Amino acid sequence: MRPIPSFSLHRPKTLSEALELLQALEDARPIAGGTDLLVLLRDGAVSAKHLIDLGGVHELQYIREENDEIRIGAATTHAQLLRSELIAEKTPLLHEAAASIGSVQIRNRGTLGGNLCNASPAADTAPPLLALNAEAAVASTGGTRIIPLGDLFAGPKMNSLRPGELLTEIRFPTPPAGSGTSFQKLGRRRGLTLAVINVAVYLCLEGGVCREARIALGAVAATPIRMPAAEEMLEGRQLSGELIEAAASACRDQVRPIDDIRASAEYRREMAYVLTRRALMDAWERARRDTL
Amino acid sequence: MRITFELNGKRVECEARPNKTLLDLLRADLGLTSVKKGCEQGECGACTVLLDGAPVNSCLVLAPQVEGRAVTTLDGLVDDPLMAALRKAFMEDGAIQCGFCIPGMLLSAYALLRENPRPTEEEVKTAIEGNICRCTGYIKIIEAIMDAAERIQNERP
Repeated sequence: MRPIPSFSLHRPKTLSEALELLQALEDARPIAGGTDLLVLLRDGAVSAKHLIDLGGVHELQYIREENDEIRIGAATTHAQLLRSELIAEKTPLLHEAAASIGSVQIRNRGTLGGNLCNASPAADTAPPLLALNAEAAVASTGGTRIIPLGDLFAGPKMNSLRPGELLTEIRFPTPPAGSGTSFQKLGRRRGLTLAVINVAVYLCLEGGVCREARIALGAVAATPIRMPAAEEMLEGRQLSGELIEAAASACRDQVRPIDDIRASAEYRREMAYVLTRRALMDAWERARRDTL
Repeated sequence: MRITFELNGKRVECEARPNKTLLDLLRADLGLTSVKKGCEQGECGACTVLLDGAPVNSCLVLAPQVEGRAVTTLDGLVDDPLMAALRKAFMEDGAIQCGFCIPGMLLSAYALLRENPRPTEEEVKTAIEGNICRCTGYIKIIEAIMDAAERIQNERP
């Protein structure tokens, strides 16, 4: 197979060093786990004169909870997410999504920030984080700006970062008591596979009434997306199987999937309904259990 | 770039271009041909090595990225009792056919049993989901890993 084209490799130890390199060097790209980037470089789909390796920037690897907010450093690996009791307990949907990514080998290298910045419409961590209402901290030598996570995705395999910017953190409110979440993924097989579609749901109940509903789908549009029409159908209402059925049906109408090697658009549209219904039922049950 | 790292318990110092993968460094420069070159895309797991004890695809690691870290290949575990038990189980249980996937498979199994000495069948399947075998259909490999786990347990006083 063709070798990886040559580049200069820079190995900063701190975030500020990394940002300065990113700012100063022409045609530079950050590399985190490399599980996507090295494949793209080898294929010639991406090129770079300089790679800035974030592997030594340990300050970007953390998972912590502060003031009812969970914060995750962008260079945190999927394996670190999986080992976190906080994530497993408070946001099982993110735990399940991380578990479904790649293989043990990929999860030991691949990072949350890399998965998001790679901006695949099928990225498994995107729907859970959209459903958790996550924000992204984006840093440059000029300072840090906070954007809604959805704004990070500009199109298939395109993120909205400006030159010199780096995703540094993902943060979202800790789901309160009475909430339930679910992550559902359909692939061509179970292990080491990209999603045909993936769905994440967050529900928060108050005395049987749905106070908040957030539904996000992946691989059904140019970017991972929320389903506001379906969410509105649920909010403020007493949940029922029928209502969930109707909301899942609304997702079928809202998605804009494509035909590709993994599935047809028609099949994805139908699965958007099936998996959303399944995710809503699952999250509803978990929310009720959480309320008891 | 000049890099220094620990390879199978010994300090190694060598020269590596930034675009050289750990796989090519180990196989071509250092002669460790137990590390197999398969897909070079992180799909097949034939090039699996342990990086600070955790399985990774060496085709997706740049050689300079192992600076200061510990790399373990099958060659470094020849006398390791857990690896010996796995090797014996793989041979006796008929888990090896062409053998190309076996070094990676053994390292994934080894990392699993180090962390989880009595895995369930599901846990074994998850541990080797990144290692493709085109011969065995996996059944005998899964059995051999379960078997090795049991043998190790039984040997303990």
